[in-house]
Amino acid sequence: MKTSSVFEDPVISKSSNMMMKGRNKVLATSFMMQTLEAAAIKRNPYTIFHQALENCEPVIGLVPILRGGHLYQVPVLLADWRRHFLAMKWMITECTEKHWRMLMPERSLHELLEAFHNQGTMIKKYDMNKMTEAIHALAHYCWC
Amino acid sequence: MLTRTSRLVSGARRLDPGRLLHAGSQAPQSLAAPLDNQAPDDSPRAVSRTSEKDPARHGEQHEGLHYNIPLQDMRTLFPHSLPPRFSMQVKTFSEACLMVRKPALELLHYLKNTNFAHPAVRYVLYGEKGTGKTLSLCHVIHFCAKQDWLILHVPDAHLWVKSCRSLLPSTYNKQRLDQPAEASIWLKNFKTTNERFLSQIKVQEKYVWNKRESTEKGSPLGEVVEQGIMRVKNATDAVGVVLRELKGQSSLGGFRLLVAVDGVNALWGKTTLKREDKSLVAPEELALVHNLRKMVKNDWHGGTIVLTLSQTGSLFKPRKAYLPQELLGKEGFDALDPFIPILVSNYSPKEFESCIQYYLENSWLQHEKAHTEEGKKELLFLSNANPGQLERLCAHL
Repeated sequence: MKTSSVFEDPVISKSSNMMMKGRNKVLATSFMMQTLEAAAIKRNPYTIFHQALENCEPVIGLVPILRGGHLYQVPVLLADWRRHFLAMKWMITECTEKHWRMLMPERSLHELLEAFHNQGTMIKKYDMNKMTEAIHALAHYCWC
Repeated sequence: MLTRTSRLVSGARRLDPGRLLHAGSQAPQSLAAPLDNQAPDDSPRAVSRTSEKDPARHGEQHEGLHYNIPLQDMRTLFPHSLPPRFSMQVKTFSEACLMVRKPALELLHYLKNTNFAHPAVRYVLYGEKGTGKTLSLCHVIHFCAKQDWLILHVPDAHLWVKSCRSLLPSTYNKQRLDQPAEASIWLKNFKTTNERFLSQIKVQEKYVWNKRESTEKGSPLGEVVEQGIMRVKNATDAVGVVLRELKGQSSLGGFRLLVAVDGVNALWGKTTLKREDKSLVAPEELALVHNLRKMVKNDWHGGTIVLTLSQTGSLFKPRKAYLPQELLGKEGFDALDPFIPILVSNYSPKEFESCIQYYLENSWLQHEKAHTEEGKKELLFLSNANPGQLERLCAHL
C-alpha cells in the first residue's frame, strides 16, 4: 500500500481506500484527485484536507462497557488512530449519504471546505456538546 | 549584472553573452538570469515566460517559453474551440498562455514564406495523444489573425459525424443529409471570428433559399451568414455557400484564407449516425462533410490549409494509432496526398522545465516536494513528458 512516490500522503491514501467500493481503486483515487484539484485553487489542498480532518476529530468517544449485566456507555479518551479513522469515516458517510444531486468530488469538496472553516454539518453532528451530557452522567463510572 | 549571473548559473549551463545582453528579447530559458524589466532576485529562477505577444516575432530563442494571449483575443478567435482542460486552466489562472514549441515555429516559418500564387499547401499536424496538436493549431490561428487572414476554423470535425440529434434530408441535394444544429453553431462562431471580412466580401451568384427569400449577387457575405443563423433549416446550405464563395474568391487575392480543421480524420472515417430506417450514414452523405472535403482539396490558391489528426474523438480507430496512414485510412490519405506532415512530440527537457516553472509561478503545484529534483523526476517519469498527462498529474498536486 505504501508507494515510493515522493508525493505520497498516507492520510490521502487511507481516505481514498475507505471510499473504495467493489475493488474499484481507480474510481476512488480519481474522486480524491478531483476533489484535491478543485480545492487546489490558490491554496494547498493537502493542508486543507489535513486541517479539515483534524477539525472533525472527536476527543472523547462513547464506549459500551458491560458491568453487572448492564451495558453502560462510558466516555473514554480515544486513541489517535481511532480518532483519525472516525473523522474519515464520518466525512465519507456524509458525502455518500447526502448527495444533493451533486457529484462525489463536488460534495466532498463542499464538506472539506466547511470543516476547514469549522462550520457545517460535520462539526454540528459530532460536536462535543453531546458528549458533555454523557460525561456528567457517567463520569464517576469511568473504570478505565 | 554579469557577476551575479555567473554566480547563479549552474555548471551544466553554457552562458551566451550575445543573447544575454540583447536589448529587446528575453534571456534564454532556464538560464537563471533576471529579466531586463524585473527587479533582480537573489535566488536562481528559471524563466518560463516571454513578453513577446506577437506570434510573428516568435523565433527559436523563444522556444519553450510561454506567451500570453489577451483574453479578448481569445473570445474572438476561439469562441468554442479550445480543448476543455485548457479552457479550465484559462479560467483558473485567468490568463491564456501558450507555449512556443518547435512544430508551431516550423509551421509559422513555412507560413511566412508561402507563395500565394501556388496552390494551397496542406500541413498535417500529427502525434500521439496529448502532445499538443490542437494548441499548436491555436498558435498558428493566432498568428494568422494578427496578420489579418480570414480564418476558417473547424474546432472538431468529429462533432459533425457523431451524436447528432437532428438529421434532415438536404434541401439542395436530395441524397445528402443536413445537420442544422451543428451548422448554425459553426456559422455563429465564424461570424464572431471574422466580423470584418463579412461586409467586405461580396457574393458572386444569386442564391435562392426558399420561395420568399434569396440573396442577390453582390450582397455581402454577412447576409448569407445571417440567413443561415436565422433560418436554421438552411444553415447547412449557408455553410456550403460560404465555403464555395471563400474558395472562389481567395484566388482573386483580396484576402488570405486559412483553413484550419481539427480532427480531420473524421471526414474520411465512419460515422455513428443512422437514418430513420436504421441504416448507417456514410460521411459523403453528410452535406457539411462533403463541403469541407471540397475545401480541403488543394485546387485553390491564396491561402493555406492546416489540419490536425486526432485519435481522441475518432470513431472505430485503435487507441494507439497516431500516424496519418492509420488514422486517415486509404481513402483519406489519397485525398490528402501531397501534404507536409509535422510531428508534434512530447516535451523536450527544456520545455518540461519551463512547463513546471509556469505551474509553480501560478501556484498550481502546491505540494511541498513538487519543486524539488525528486519531485520533478517523478513527474517526468509518470507523464513521460507528455503535455496532456503532465497537466492532469499536476492538477491535484
